[in-house]
Amino acid sequence: MVKFLKPNKAVILLQGRFAGRKAVIVRSFDDGTRDRPYGHCLVSGISKYPAKVIKKDSAKKTAKNSRVKAFMKVVNYSHLMPTRYTLDVDLKDVVSPDSLVTKDKKVTAAKEIKKRFEERFKTGKNRWFFSKLRF
Amino acid sequence: MVAAKKTKKTHESINNRLALVMKSGRYTLGYKTVLKSLRNSKDLEEMNLLLVFKSKTLIGEVRKLVIIANNCPPLRKSEIEYYAMLAKVGVHHYNGNNVDLGTACGKYFRVCCLSIIDPGDSDIIKSMPSDH
Repeated sequence: MVKFLKPNKAVILLQGRFAGRKAVIVRSFDDGTRDRPYGHCLVSGISKYPAKVIKKDSAKKTAKNSRVKAFMKVVNYSHLMPTRYTLDVDLKDVVSPDSLVTKDKKVTAAKEIKKRFEERFKTGKNRWFFSKLRF
Repeated sequence: MVAAKKTKKTHESINNRLALVMKSGRYTLGYKTVLKSLRNSKDLEEMNLLLVFKSKTLIGEVRKLVIIANNCPPLRKSEIEYYAMLAKVGVHHYNGNNVDLGTACGKYFRVCCLSIIDPGDSDIIKSMPSDH
């Protein structure tokens, strides 16, 4: 019996505005906190997937299509579907529970995540994570 | 014919073992709690620590089991199997529907899936993986 809801695990959100989007667990709170007495975790995910990029595209088009829009959210475990994939992007220093409190902190954190996700997408690794889930 | 007889015998033994778990072990019934128990490992780690303390040996075997009735809807069945695969927990497909599984647990309601957290005196976890 292994605990699998750990940081860097790729999950799919099941409920809410970002249902069907893939995300990465940044921090998990198994026992919950006083405000949230249930198991939950801080995830950061993709709200807008990067478009298809092919070799024939011009540099401008590639740059435009590789953009990723990211989000951060605190999600209950029961609203996640864990997957067997992981994404080891170091987001711990950027995303923290208090960066979700105020709007400007949220925006700066989201921008940082976006940058890191885009870097990772451009290297071509973790292709599953950056592809849209069709349903 | 031999095959049919064999399944009947093992089927009864599963029932007996389940009854023992109901009496002496810890378990949860129902889809939501099964998923919860698969996500959580705190109980397990606590127990592992306790047992290591007592017996001074490292316990590396699977200590949980999930049993699914045969008329469980296939989407739900595959979801539980996926969670169990991630958690490295054994899954046993019970040879009977949820009504039978409820009766085997000694309950008067239907049970579609159940998870055995602590087998108690039963050896269900040790003998089941070979079956599955």
